[in-house]
Amino acid sequence: MNAEASVIRTQPLPGDFAIWIFIFAELTVFGVLFAAYAFARSAHADLFNAAQLGLNRVYGLANTLILVTSSYFVVRATQSIKAGRSTACGHWLVGALGLGGCFLAVKLAEFHQDLAQGISLSANLFDMFYLSLTFFHFMHVVMGMAILAVVAHKAYAGRYSVADHTGVETGASYWHMVDLVWIILFALVYVIH
Amino acid sequence: MKSPAAPAFTACTVSWVVLLALTTISFELGAGAPGRALTAAVLALTLIKGHLVVSHFMGLRRVRLRWRIAMAAYLAAVGGVIALAYSIT
Repeated sequence: MNAEASVIRTQPLPGDFAIWIFIFAELTVFGVLFAAYAFARSAHADLFNAAQLGLNRVYGLANTLILVTSSYFVVRATQSIKAGRSTACGHWLVGALGLGGCFLAVKLAEFHQDLAQGISLSANLFDMFYLSLTFFHFMHVVMGMAILAVVAHKAYAGRYSVADHTGVETGASYWHMVDLVWIILFALVYVIH
Repeated sequence: MKSPAAPAFTACTVSWVVLLALTTISFELGAGAPGRALTAAVLALTLIKGHLVVSHFMGLRRVRLRWRIAMAAYLAAVGGVIALAYSIT
């Protein structure tokens, strides 16, 4: 049992190593932005607390549940291709893409409501951070969906197999990074006050 | 006979359900009074969620120790910096 555990814990990172350089770079950028938000908030706590009340927290909750579930669908896609089921892999990826689309739709509805309420980049420091962080993440979701769409197309075309599915793992790793960043962003911007 | 993928499927599915539950709990905690207890509780839940995503979704529980340490260090650093900033408010 212990020998088996030690064997499976010596595997390389899933997917192409280059994507992990990109992932760690992205995580670093988001980490710096999170720190900037937290320290800006520490200097303007009253402003941040008041401005946070203007957010509809249900949008944040819905999008977190959506993104976590899409990430789970991508896990199932990876498991499917490892079992040699290309079509199932494609189906799970299409499901994840659909949820990604739901995330974007919810966020756009939230942005629309924000603008109607007068939230803007120049309104106050909290709004500047909120809009910048969430729009920056929004663009990562768009990029992640583009990657997943390519992977899904190739899965349906039978371009992956049990022996060669690096592309699936590469796309999946990026998508999980997008999910991970949102989980922190949700807590920081929507919940903690 | 169980397929080799069965244990991973179980762990990932359990992780997904736990992630949904912890997200909902965090949301409900956020409706409470602000303060350090809220910050600490939500940060702790967030770090647990991050660990679940990294280990079971990204699959880093199977990789070499240095990568697991790198990702754990990232989560600890982000959580620590946020906790520090909120503690000096």
